Amino acid sequence: MTQSKKWSKNKVAFPVLSAMLAASLAACGNEEGGASGEDGGSVDSLTIMTTAYTTEPPAEDSPALKELEEFTGKDITMNWVLDSAYADKLNITLASGNLPEIMMIPTKLPSFVSAVRDDAFWELGPYLKDYPNLSQANEITLQNSSIDGKIYGVYRARPLGRNGVTIRKDWLANVGMETPKTIDDFYNVLKAFKENDPDGNGADDTYGMVISKYTGPFDVMQTWFGAPNKWGEDANGNLQPDFVTDEYFEAQKFFKKLFDEGLINEDFAVMDPQKWGDPLLNSQAGVIVDVLDRAHRAEEAMLQANPDLKEPIDVFGAVEGPEGLFNLPTSGYSGMLAIPKSSVETEEELKEVLDFIDKLSEQEAQALAYNGVEGVHYELEGDVYKPLVELNDPVANEFTDLNQFQTGIPENRFYQEELTPLIEKEEQVKLDNEEIVVPNPAEALLSEGYAQKGQQLDNIINDARIKFIVGQIDEAGFKDAIELWKSSGGNEYIEEINKLHKEAQS
Amino acid sequence: MAIFKSSSSQTELAVDAPPVKSGAASRKQFMQRLKRDKWLYLLLLPGLLYFLVFKYAPMWGIVIAFQDYSPFKGVFGSEWVGFEHFRDFFQNPDFTRLLRNTFILAVLDLVFFFPAPIILALLLNELRINLYKRTVQTLIYVPHFMSWVIIASITYIFFTTSGGVANEIVGHFYGKEINFLSSPDWFRPLIMGQIIWKETGWGTVIFLAALATVDQEQYEAAIVDGAGRFRRLWHVTLPAVRSTIIVLLILRLGNFLDTGFQQIFLMTNSLNRDVADVFDTYVYFVGITQGAFSYSTAVGLFKSVVGIILVLGANKLAKKMGQDGIF
Repeated sequence: MTQSKKWSKNKVAFPVLSAMLAASLAACGNEEGGASGEDGGSVDSLTIMTTAYTTEPPAEDSPALKELEEFTGKDITMNWVLDSAYADKLNITLASGNLPEIMMIPTKLPSFVSAVRDDAFWELGPYLKDYPNLSQANEITLQNSSIDGKIYGVYRARPLGRNGVTIRKDWLANVGMETPKTIDDFYNVLKAFKENDPDGNGADDTYGMVISKYTGPFDVMQTWFGAPNKWGEDANGNLQPDFVTDEYFEAQKFFKKLFDEGLINEDFAVMDPQKWGDPLLNSQAGVIVDVLDRAHRAEEAMLQANPDLKEPIDVFGAVEGPEGLFNLPTSGYSGMLAIPKSSVETEEELKEVLDFIDKLSEQEAQALAYNGVEGVHYELEGDVYKPLVELNDPVANEFTDLNQFQTGIPENRFYQEELTPLIEKEEQVKLDNEEIVVPNPAEALLSEGYAQKGQQLDNIINDARIKFIVGQIDEAGFKDAIELWKSSGGNEYIEEINKLHKEAQS
Repeated sequence: MAIFKSSSSQTELAVDAPPVKSGAASRKQFMQRLKRDKWLYLLLLPGLLYFLVFKYAPMWGIVIAFQDYSPFKGVFGSEWVGFEHFRDFFQNPDFTRLLRNTFILAVLDLVFFFPAPIILALLLNELRINLYKRTVQTLIYVPHFMSWVIIASITYIFFTTSGGVANEIVGHFYGKEINFLSSPDWFRPLIMGQIIWKETGWGTVIFLAALATVDQEQYEAAIVDGAGRFRRLWHVTLPAVRSTIIVLLILRLGNFLDTGFQQIFLMTNSLNRDVADVFDTYVYFVGITQGAFSYSTAVGLFKSVVGIILVLGANKLAKKMGQDGIF
């Protein structure tokens, strides 16, 4: 008893300690308040949060960044986040409330949409017309990037017809085949690449096509079969998700056949997307379905490793399926630059930031972001652009990721490399693709249900698709997954999209 | 700021209550004690501050589990929704799957991983040559200092079907390669194997410390009584470390549902997600990638409540069985 009494008396020390603690913390709080309070007036310095694709993006002392600061008259602080962790970091930043002046929003993430609805970002629509470059933005792409019909970010333009097939041209010649025209041709080429020793070394060490964990290639290939781009119309004109269509399932059966016959890599479901290109470069696989730009990048890398190769790579847009020739478009943009109200407080400041973004589209700024500094990273001989550093040279890191906050509105004005035949062909295929792209009728629609459960819903179908391809489930199992999707919130999602679609049309 | 005020007023209440009888006298006594032990109190301060600032203050954030929290409205501006998120979670079809996966992994962990350091420590304890013992001890600590990213990468390299060493060996003897990385059946064994590989050595530290305190005379007495090695282990060593084992077991139960986010996250793919999804990865997917902060907080809170119940239950059970427990 006496012991416990003593103990409780000792505990009287607590209030004293807590009071001390409270006082010291209050002091901290005040300090912070003072620091962030001195805002207002004109915007001299900007923080930009965007993606980095190298682990060493341009630092403060990068000459290209310095020249860009000089050109725009702003002190730029970069907040680089590696692409693979970007969505996580973005959500955490949004939650922290301590936002940069310019934030790159990769897609209409649920957290961004709800932040927009909580009035955390500026609506930019009414202002764009005042700027020489931004006023020329593409109406359809603006529409696609809008939220509830309004513009909250300046989109980063990308070509619509950017998807296509990169294929080993020399292998095609070795097995005596032509560039495939139909899905059957495509299958035969893959089979020949596996079985007919396309690299002529006498060993059975090649296969047709390499695919990674990233499921984009399946999305592209299923449009060849006539499957819709995420949403399509059923017989009654209502929108339905792509995976309930017969075309979609036909495509899955095709993928399964490719997998069963070993024409694609067995470990695709666990393959790191960063290693996706390696089998093509190492002459193990002969085909990659991805963005067209991959073709010339692969060719450069292969020629560097083995200068004896002659035109190893060819490229084409799509092959013809039972219903015609189709290709999967991009949304016309990849991410957008949004401006938070908490860091850019007044309309005057907003106009300055928009002016900055507008200036980034000037030729000088684009050249700094894509080509680097003249005399350091490239030189001009007359009008001809000559790069002085290879893209995989560490020096190139002084500028390469600076294009991650470029809008490309209204057009690309940086110096283009002298066109190789392959790059020229890529450009041609991009144009041809625009004729055959399958638009997504629900692109601009924003579903509440999807915002809440989208990731889980997508996972259900995506996992089922992979399981079907590798044979873990059969057709019935895939149908079960669709039912699960519907009961997990998919039915409401379909209803909502149809309602929004009708509203948008009327 | 409100949190500190409220917590301090709470402690004031709690402490002010007992010395009601003789306020002035006890205050005087307290001041004397404070003066006498002032350095000790000062030493206590950093530890106390640490717990208040880094452990108790953030707990305030739990309130968002009962709100429809939006970072831009803040805690004070967000709408209160009561237990809605908990209801949603328990009714969600994912709930049973998550619970099953988490529970199976936790039980496997207790059965296979928990005894591993004990066994290893007992074996090390039997070693005669000191130099050998020390060297082994140091070497087995090494895996603990590797990050899960590295261990996951090593696992991928070993077990991949395109040229992985482990699979080459399996293929050689079994005639057919096994897709360890994407097969749901192999997910749990892989996870257990990784934990045991990484943490067993490190786990021996505490048991070896406990074993070092065993009275050598007891062994000598046992030898005189004619006890062999195994008898000595059973009747002298094990009883000596029993309380350590029980304390660690109780502490482990507190983290029963913590399955190690990094490890599981790194080993998950489309083909094994059905068995790989656990509470920790779910909180990440829903909270961080989808920005559903309130909902994921509710899930996390549920996990913690289960942890507390398990600790209290295990502690009570241990006391009932005549052991010390932890409090």
